[in-house]
Amino acid sequence: MSPSQQPSSPNPTHLKIRFARRFLRALNNLNITKTSPDDDDDGENRVYRRSRRVKIAAYTAMASVVGSRRAWSRAVLWKVRNRSRNRSLLSVRPRRKRVDCKITNNDHDHAKVFVRRRNPNPKRDPFRDSGQVLKLRKLVPGAETMDSWCLMDETADYIKCLAAQVEVMKTLVDLYTTT
Amino acid sequence: MSSRRSRSRPSAPSMITDDQINDLVSKLHQLLPEIRNRCSDKVSAARVLQETCSYIKSLHREVDDLSERLSELLDNTDSTQASIIRSLLMQ
Repeated sequence: MSPSQQPSSPNPTHLKIRFARRFLRALNNLNITKTSPDDDDDGENRVYRRSRRVKIAAYTAMASVVGSRRAWSRAVLWKVRNRSRNRSLLSVRPRRKRVDCKITNNDHDHAKVFVRRRNPNPKRDPFRDSGQVLKLRKLVPGAETMDSWCLMDETADYIKCLAAQVEVMKTLVDLYTTT
Repeated sequence: MSSRRSRSRPSAPSMITDDQINDLVSKLHQLLPEIRNRCSDKVSAARVLQETCSYIKSLHREVDDLSERLSELLDNTDSTQASIIRSLLMQ
């Protein structure tokens, strides 16, 4: 699928266009399914649920544009899929996937399925668990078991994609308010 | 997956050196909006990480806020307008 010379950073304009397409498609689907509102839902709850759906649609659209190239996008897609699967199977216990490392029944740990432990030795990786780095690991999806190099790399990519996402969303809001 | 990357990456058994981390820190530094405007060299790694954390948090907050506004606007707008806008962007 990818050319022999895969660019290390995505072209921001292409990224925005592809994200905009997917996001608008998802919004359209959301709009269609929303046409029959529940009457027993109070207004505030409905507003909250709607904005939450839009937010999830935005993150999912961006993660699926980036695809499985990046650990953070894989973690986002995994979390979203897991959340919807757990909702539909509320009465059935979720099955454990066959993994190489031990997982506990915790949302964050599911990201470990895709991230192989490359450098867990603290001697080789002195920055691994220092103060700010821990906060960063909580913010970037899928970053909890990475070594420092991967973490920085993923953070840079994540910031670029998030900034592009915010710009597209701002443009959309402007479009909708002026139309 | 590492074969796709055009950038060199330390192989697993070797130690992650200070230089490599500094390279990445300076790359992150370029992406941050606030520090870029001030003097752009010799910023400490801790500062960059701190700004990165707060930048990511502010981006998350913006996404929340924008998605709230979008959902309100979507309620008031006709769905045909959404498809018109989509066809405008899909060129």
